[in-house]
Amino acid sequence: MSAGPAQAGARPGSVTAEAGRARRHACRAEFAKSASLHSTWWLLLAVAGLTVVLGAAAVGTVDTDQCRTPSSCHEDTVKLSLTGVWVGQTAVAVFGVLAVAGEYGTGTMRVTLAAMPDRTRVVAAKASVVAALTAVSALLAVAGSVAVGRVLLSDAGFTRANGYEPLSLADGATARAAFGSVVYLMLVALLSVGLAFVVRDTAGAIGGVLGLLYAFPVAASLVSDDAWKEWLTRLAPASAGLAVQSTRDLDKLAIAPWPGLGVLSLYAAGALVLGGFVLCRRDA
Amino acid sequence: MSAPVPAPPVSGYRSPHARGGAGFGRLLHAEWTKLRTVRRWGYALIGAVVLTVLVALLAAGGSEIKGGGPSGPTLGPNGRPVSDGFRFVHQPLTGDGTVTVRVDSLVAQKNQRPNGREGSAAPWAKAGLIMKASTLPGSTYAAALLTHSHGVRFQYDFTHDVAGSDAPPDRPRWLRLTRAGDVVTAYESADGVRWDKIGATEAPDLPETVHVGMFVASPMAYNFERAFGSTGVDGTFTLSTGTFRDFSVDGRTEGPPRVTDVGAQGSGPGASGDGDAPTSPAGVTDAQGNSSSESGGVHTIVSTGDIAPMEADVDLTQQGLSGAVIGLIPLAALGVLFITAEFRRGMIATTFTASPRRGRVLAAKAVVLGGTTFVAGAVAAAVAFVVSQPLLRGKGHRPPVYPELTLADGSVLRAVSGTALVLALVAVLALAVGALVRNTAASVTVIVVLLVLPQILVAGLPLGAARLVVQATPAAGFAVQRTIEDFPQVESACLPEDGCYPQGAGAGLAVLCVYVAVALGLAVWQLRRRRA
Amino acid sequence: MDATIEVTDLRKRFGPAVAVDDLSFTARPGQVTGFVGPNGAGKSTTMRILLGLDAADHGQALVGGRAYRSLRTPLYEVGALLDAAAVHPGRSGRDHLRWLAYSHGLSTRRVDELLELVGLSSAGRRRAGGYSLGMRQRLGIAAALLGDPPVLVFDEPVNGLDPEGVRWIRGFLRSLAAEGRTVLISSHLMSELEDSADHLIVIGRGRLIADTSVAELLAAASGERVAVRTAERTQAMAALTDEGATVAATGRDTLIVTGLPAQQVVRVLGTHEIAFSEVAAHRASLEEAYMELTRGAAEFETANKDGEVSR
Repeated sequence: MSAGPAQAGARPGSVTAEAGRARRHACRAEFAKSASLHSTWWLLLAVAGLTVVLGAAAVGTVDTDQCRTPSSCHEDTVKLSLTGVWVGQTAVAVFGVLAVAGEYGTGTMRVTLAAMPDRTRVVAAKASVVAALTAVSALLAVAGSVAVGRVLLSDAGFTRANGYEPLSLADGATARAAFGSVVYLMLVALLSVGLAFVVRDTAGAIGGVLGLLYAFPVAASLVSDDAWKEWLTRLAPASAGLAVQSTRDLDKLAIAPWPGLGVLSLYAAGALVLGGFVLCRRDA
Repeated sequence: MSAPVPAPPVSGYRSPHARGGAGFGRLLHAEWTKLRTVRRWGYALIGAVVLTVLVALLAAGGSEIKGGGPSGPTLGPNGRPVSDGFRFVHQPLTGDGTVTVRVDSLVAQKNQRPNGREGSAAPWAKAGLIMKASTLPGSTYAAALLTHSHGVRFQYDFTHDVAGSDAPPDRPRWLRLTRAGDVVTAYESADGVRWDKIGATEAPDLPETVHVGMFVASPMAYNFERAFGSTGVDGTFTLSTGTFRDFSVDGRTEGPPRVTDVGAQGSGPGASGDGDAPTSPAGVTDAQGNSSSESGGVHTIVSTGDIAPMEADVDLTQQGLSGAVIGLIPLAALGVLFITAEFRRGMIATTFTASPRRGRVLAAKAVVLGGTTFVAGAVAAAVAFVVSQPLLRGKGHRPPVYPELTLADGSVLRAVSGTALVLALVAVLALAVGALVRNTAASVTVIVVLLVLPQILVAGLPLGAARLVVQATPAAGFAVQRTIEDFPQVESACLPEDGCYPQGAGAGLAVLCVYVAVALGLAVWQLRRRRA
Repeated sequence: MDATIEVTDLRKRFGPAVAVDDLSFTARPGQVTGFVGPNGAGKSTTMRILLGLDAADHGQALVGGRAYRSLRTPLYEVGALLDAAAVHPGRSGRDHLRWLAYSHGLSTRRVDELLELVGLSSAGRRRAGGYSLGMRQRLGIAAALLGDPPVLVFDEPVNGLDPEGVRWIRGFLRSLAAEGRTVLISSHLMSELEDSADHLIVIGRGRLIADTSVAELLAAASGERVAVRTAERTQAMAALTDEGATVAATGRDTLIVTGLPAQQVVRVLGTHEIAFSEVAAHRASLEEAYMELTRGAAEFETANKDGEVSR
């Protein structure tokens, strides 16, 4: 903000390089801030741990014996193994919210803004670092879930003989579901960061994120009208976003995998833009 | 360096002010003042009400019954919908009398599944004696009967069910019904000599002449199967075969036994001038597969159908209160903040210097928070119920299948106050978790995961796991919202994703209470132990 | 109740760090007792133990012979100011005092009296989130005085106050003690206590360094020193050194003379006809005395944010 247009225009060649350096510095600062908090590592561990544990629990309850014939289960084994993302995303939300609202709570935000007066850059740096750290633990979470699912599923009768290929990331649809889940978790992190910049208050932000993620699916389970159900699923950030986990019966989905993830991206982008706008407009 | 200090001239300070005590009531007053003086917390309460009502409206708006719902259900003597269809081999009986029979066996046919595996038999398939006002469906009755897996029962007027012995369906059993004035008494016997009374009832609505005889009924059998990532219910008609011997009527009767398919096509109200359904000749098999025959005093009746209350598939009260699952999110945030805000600012030190007994402080917080959220929850539940009912009726949920309910009905009142209680308990649980975890975001998340996630996950889990989830997580408390009476004498497809809780309302609430109690206990222990 | 604070053989460690080490002292009614030490010396920990917030590993801290946690109406017996920032930002200062007052059955009138007393009458109804540190400090003092207790414990009460506020609180503390109350105030700056404390407890690294009255401490630190102001500094130094004194130049025209009483100094300067504008017995400041005492005892690990609490 202090850099006037005249200054910026004086040496046009070096402006981009300087901006790039500033961006790198901002990201490094944000990373240092995040990495120096114990809670960051606990939360990232929780993302991976909760995802794998709930995924294993979900897979563990299902058996081909529950179907008329083993092959008539039509079980989406990939999606089932990745069920844990439903709970893992809560830790991601906490992480994203705390990264921002925690700073407001302790007053660190004033220090941050004093060090980096360009507020758009603050939002961008924070979003990048949170998303990158989330991606690392999401990769662990998804890889762990698929590995655990592969072992448990074959024990439960989901074998090649019954028409179920063992889970493998070499399979195109499985890879899409796994990669999509990682992207999903990153988008949830961005949504949380954006919303926290808007609300500024830990409790309000986490309540808002969890409400967005959970209220739509609950409402969809409450209505009996199929058209309403379909629309609620399409509009819901969580349900639409997690369509990317489906590998079977794609024609039955309310929204296709990638457009579903697109819906979530719109939410995340909207939250970040609004968050940036609020940060720039309001006093810190 | 220590040196004697000159003694000060004053001997200590005495306050001139009058002083009260600092009892628990004062502590409540202090905590209530804390709660009501933070404006955001008031918004959380309002937010809970608004969310609950909005989600209820959404749920009601999206629940249209296509085609206007089931038409013209059979109504029982007390006006509620019933199933009343079975093959009836009967004689008239005027005045007092006794009817006796030996049920040789009841064979319940198992439903067939496409892969050739045998399905389950209807556990409530029944064969026995019945004394019925008329052969019209819905008329008052009393029956002594042998069931496939629930032993001998005495049932009357659809909703009443008295257990007799545990007699198996493949061994002969004697049954007897006696009418003396308005009282009908049921007996059973293993040998036809020594009789045990099963039960008796006043039946003032039975006319002077009633129909007495043998019947067989065989309700739907359910198979739960998994397909496409969720549990499907497969309900099939079943036929059961009852073999009877030594049928005798002791009293004023006339003519040979006649056969009627109660509740079959053409036997509805107004089909016959004298109020009785037309009879079909013995030995004829009808469209449903019902048949009956007699040879050498042995009656064989094959029949489908049931004599039982009909359970509604949608609980309008529960539907109207469903928004509470989302409305609890702001209340959970409030409960958590009520303590974590003090930890965060270090204000807990002020609180504990004013009231050093930490357990009492948490208790006061729990009482104040619980009371406040109960009131907010009651407002939310009552408003949500009142606004959703007309909407649901407009979407085709009409009497008599879906009774018109008001807040004054006992079951509704219980569900509404139960919902308020669940919301209050959730807030207190959040308080306890907040005291344990001390981190606002993590605590709120724990509560939401424990209470809201189960509602999303049950649809994708196999039945056993889904039932376990709604029984064992704190979400079990929402069982109080269910107002549909669950009759044990009817097997129903209780699917958790349809809002059915296998346990009763009380048991569900108890599970939630256990969570709250354990969390509060741990929180008190931690507060005493850890640095404030 | 006899409103004495008694700390006996107090010991507290947090992990490997010893916060308080065999500390014993007494604060008596009618006096302002200053509790001094560098940042991280264990002052706050001692006060937290005294107020029942932390448990001691060994020893005890009693108020009027009783453990704080056994008090049933603590606000009537001990008033405490620990952390001025410990107010919910969404609540007004008046509401903050009200919940505290209600916990002991005190009325809103009492709350308004105290707001008036600390000068927050008009700000009382505003959200505490907008208060300056000084205003929060005043609010904390009002909270401590709600129950009109005979014992007052203030942790760093002068922090964040403006000069006018500092003057006010000094007089205020003195008047509280004059009413016969026991007043214990901590500070890491001796100068803050210079005009208000009667008695001093000096600690460093959790240990007691001095337990003495202010007068004694000053006398011990001042020694027999004389300050001289003269334009003819070189001549004066030579003349005084000849008489056996040790002379140090402290400024362009000032000298500190050790080893000669003031009278003698005046006589020597007179004999040598050296003009001087001032000769006075040098009085050490409390700060100098304190620096003398705590040299080597200072805990320098104060960089971490909550060093005061966790060390």
